[in-house]
Amino acid sequence: MTLFTRSSLLVLLATFAVLVAGCTSHQGDGSGDGDTQAVTGTDADGVDGAGQQPSAGPSITTVAEVADQLAANDGDMVPLFESVPNLLADYIGQDQEKLAALNEQLKATHVQRSNSGQAKTKTTEESVEAGGDEKTPFKLGDLISMTEEDYPPLAKLIEGNKWVDKPVRDSMALMRSRQEKEKPLATVKEALGLKNTSNDTNLKIRSAMGRLAAINKVPIDYSATWNRHTSGDVKSTNPIMISSTAEFDVSGLTSFGLMGFDWTFTPFASKDTVVSWQSSENGLLDKVVIRDDLYWSDGKKITAHDVEFSFRVIMTSKVPVPAVRSGTDQLQGVKAYDDQTVVYFHPDPLATNVWNVNFPVLPKHVYEKSVADDPTLSASKYHVSKDENPVTGGPYVIKKRVRGQEIVLERRDSYHTVNGKQVRDIPHFKNIRFAIIEDPSTALLSMKKGDIEEMQLTPEQWKEQTNDNDFYDKNLKAYDIEWVYFYFGWNSRSPFFRDARVRRAMSLAFNHAEMMERHRKGMDEQSQGIFHRTSPWAPEKLPAAYRQDLDRAEDLLEAAGWQDTDGDGVLDGMVFLDPEFDGQLEGVKRLPFKFTIATSNRSDRIALCELLRENLDQIGIVCNVRPVEFTVLQQMAREHKFHAQFAGWGTGTDPDTSENLWTTKAIDSGRNYVAYSSPAIDKLFQEGKYELDPEKRRRIYQQIHLKLYEDQPYTWLYFRNAYFAFNKSLRGYNFSPRGPYNYGPGEGSIFKTPALK
Amino acid sequence: MNRKVPDLVTASPGFWQQSWQRFRRRKLAMFALYFIGLLSMVAIFSPAIAGTKPIVCRYKGEIYFPCLGYYNPSWENPIFQKDRFRRVYPRNLQRKDPDSWALWPLVYQDPHRPVRDGEWEGLEGNPFGAKGQPSGKNWFGTYKTGFDVFASMVHGTRIALLVGFVSTGIAAVIGITLGAVAGYMGGVVDLTISRLIEMVMCVPALVLILALQAVIEEVSIWNIMMLLGLTGWTGMARLTRGEFLKLRETEFVAAARCLGAGRIRIMFRHVLPNALAPVMVPIVFGIAAGIQVEAALSLLGFGAPPPNPSWGTILHSGRETLQSGYWWQVVFPGLGIFLTVLAYNLIGEGIQEATDPRLADSGN
Repeated sequence: MTLFTRSSLLVLLATFAVLVAGCTSHQGDGSGDGDTQAVTGTDADGVDGAGQQPSAGPSITTVAEVADQLAANDGDMVPLFESVPNLLADYIGQDQEKLAALNEQLKATHVQRSNSGQAKTKTTEESVEAGGDEKTPFKLGDLISMTEEDYPPLAKLIEGNKWVDKPVRDSMALMRSRQEKEKPLATVKEALGLKNTSNDTNLKIRSAMGRLAAINKVPIDYSATWNRHTSGDVKSTNPIMISSTAEFDVSGLTSFGLMGFDWTFTPFASKDTVVSWQSSENGLLDKVVIRDDLYWSDGKKITAHDVEFSFRVIMTSKVPVPAVRSGTDQLQGVKAYDDQTVVYFHPDPLATNVWNVNFPVLPKHVYEKSVADDPTLSASKYHVSKDENPVTGGPYVIKKRVRGQEIVLERRDSYHTVNGKQVRDIPHFKNIRFAIIEDPSTALLSMKKGDIEEMQLTPEQWKEQTNDNDFYDKNLKAYDIEWVYFYFGWNSRSPFFRDARVRRAMSLAFNHAEMMERHRKGMDEQSQGIFHRTSPWAPEKLPAAYRQDLDRAEDLLEAAGWQDTDGDGVLDGMVFLDPEFDGQLEGVKRLPFKFTIATSNRSDRIALCELLRENLDQIGIVCNVRPVEFTVLQQMAREHKFHAQFAGWGTGTDPDTSENLWTTKAIDSGRNYVAYSSPAIDKLFQEGKYELDPEKRRRIYQQIHLKLYEDQPYTWLYFRNAYFAFNKSLRGYNFSPRGPYNYGPGEGSIFKTPALK
Repeated sequence: MNRKVPDLVTASPGFWQQSWQRFRRRKLAMFALYFIGLLSMVAIFSPAIAGTKPIVCRYKGEIYFPCLGYYNPSWENPIFQKDRFRRVYPRNLQRKDPDSWALWPLVYQDPHRPVRDGEWEGLEGNPFGAKGQPSGKNWFGTYKTGFDVFASMVHGTRIALLVGFVSTGIAAVIGITLGAVAGYMGGVVDLTISRLIEMVMCVPALVLILALQAVIEEVSIWNIMMLLGLTGWTGMARLTRGEFLKLRETEFVAAARCLGAGRIRIMFRHVLPNALAPVMVPIVFGIAAGIQVEAALSLLGFGAPPPNPSWGTILHSGRETLQSGYWWQVVFPGLGIFLTVLAYNLIGEGIQEATDPRLADSGN
């Protein structure tokens, strides 16, 4: 069963919701602009997909065939590799020269097409501006660049293109085949008696408790309820309105989607919802045939028209879509040709297109008539009632919602059983209840009492509050590496941090060792840039981690023009005041080095900012710490109205997702909150998008990593591992670099056994 | 001949003197007064009690008072910044000027940072986490990151007392003035001020402070005190108004009026001293309430912004580590708040009983 794969888009978006958030209380809005854009693209990760899917026509299925085709094509590899870019990985080392030539050629054509493609697409931003105008009449899909006449008939599409099969998979089956090859390090009984005190016990617990029911041949208690923890309430249950992690969590279980990816971030279409998925050889079209045994929770059939309608709603300027429009807006058009067949039109044949076809699906029959009257989808009486009791396409329906307290989901039979016949795996829990508890200490008390059955722990809780029998009576804990890093971001628009030398001085002034030892309890790893050392995108030799060196920091500051000239104990320097950032003041002025760092109002984060304050105080810089509410922090970040801030980012499935954090264009439309701009980085990201040779592509991102680390737009602090507590009744939890959920199968493989009821 | 003539007639004690005599007879109230006196001393001399900056030192031939930096960072002489002391004095004084000397605070601990290894010869850095129990070095234990709780509490006394005094001071000035005007003038003025009092009573101070946090970029403890003062004067205004309503009808007021005294003079020179006794009580209770509100705000995470160590902030961080068994972060600041609030309340009660002749005569 692939519970989670169905909502892979949500998952993808959730990445960035987790971002700044941190585990326990995250920042409500995980999405914002440019979200999906931030998560577009994957190719090298899909390598293992090669050779598994039978395909039609001239397309390639195995590496051996690649070699054959290459021979037959006599070197003309363009169409070949364009259609199956992932196979390039297997080809590495076989013919470097040809590959290099091919890549050049590919890049040239891509750039050409990309340019023409962009010309065809309206800028969404501009159109949204126009659409937001009161006087502009409502027009469904006004942001879509293709008109009805532009869509060719299906027969012509099928005739006129060569089609390549893409993988359609069941993530549970993938996990099953992985576990079949793995020998468990302990039995469940042994693991239940263990205390997680070392890496060894951690591996044993994960290995034993992660085993699927099918592998261990144990029954599943399908009548069980799973009590989960969430630190925030949901604002909306409408899947296109989601933006906080809680909303992603709920939406992941209730909404309907077509795509997914596994723990290695390999994308595929979900077997539960898709019959076949094909791409045109030129990479400009994706054709998906969805299953005809899918029903909404109100009994109406789910069809391709729902997919087209959802696209149109998302691409309507009057509809205030907080997160899911970005990425989706990279599509030129979406067309349902019949109840089952939907075709996606791309302006540009990037391998990363695979993520853009991924958006949540709304029931057309529910919203078709009402959207024009209330484009907010949340104001009218009708929409409020639909938000309270949404018609869902996923495995669960919302049974009960008490604001600020809990959200209870119930499994719906019409999802897995149609006309008395089981057509999909039955989701493992009858009910899933999200208990909303903001305070981590309170949540841990509930965990010990057994009121909630999973939660993410802070390092402190892991190390000091979960070692006694009080905790182990009912629970186990497990951890794994998670690619989530935290940082101090230095706003390049602030008069203080335009100079890279100043930013480096900040990193040198900070006491990293004390942070790791006292604040992170020695449980996490110091971050040495945007990619985790275990990520394939990180340089083989990571740059040396920053260590506190106040002398060097002072020297750098002096070189950058910061000295205490007026003898007041605070450094001062000549700065250019940007009227846009500094308000009225304009021009050059001597300013004391006094700034404010903003952070969300959590004591562990405030404590780290306090450490920075103390360190900077030692070298004559006044740093005020300003704890603010999360939404305020977000707003400041979006408007670039801050000097420095403390926050964190989760990982996307592809390194291209970070484009939205670092490129110049992302300053206005993405999440480049620190307004960092470097032509070299812009160029590298552009190249990374078009580079199809995985090895070269990897090298590009390694360069990006190194260049960013050199410029220190952030002071990278630490990677936070995923520390989780699970009730002893739970089985089947496994980790990915995104934690135990948010991938396929993720939470879908978790179950309880009847014996333990 | 300059022989001193003994006073045959002793002046009878005035109202305040009598009250003071009655007050002094109350042991608990006096004890509370001493306690507050002690706290005030601690607050004033906090940098001399706990700190890492010398009270006075001689460096390169000059005398400096680096501990003043605890009151205001700019009072710490920049020469130490220039000479790259990095806020660590003992080691650097020796190293950079072997002839230097310094007079140190009683306890070498800092409210803004943990003491680290090697700062003071032979003194280990502060323990942190579970090892931070109260010890000979860290009397009240340490925070989870190694800050000394005692030093934070000593310096936090300033905030605790300031919040009480300043907020109540503001409230008293507004409350007494408006109450006096309303009570003495009566009529439309009274009506207007009374309605204003009722309006302000409806404004919840806590909510206002939370709103302020969103509006002002850097909320200081002074903003919070101001807000507490601006919203907390209504009780005093009502009491003063009541007293004035009563007193303006008395003979001495009529006499003053006959003698041609102006309104302001009558109100503040003649009536106010007679109305002050009952108002003293809510003032003292107000101080206690101010301390409590600040602690509550800090406990919720909205109080004195960092790095100000306030008792409520220490309690706040203690609440998070209580499940780890760090009792000392809750017990000491909790005790501090409890005792201080109790002391003010005892004083308030003492004043009430000492100034009210009926209560005084009942021998209560």
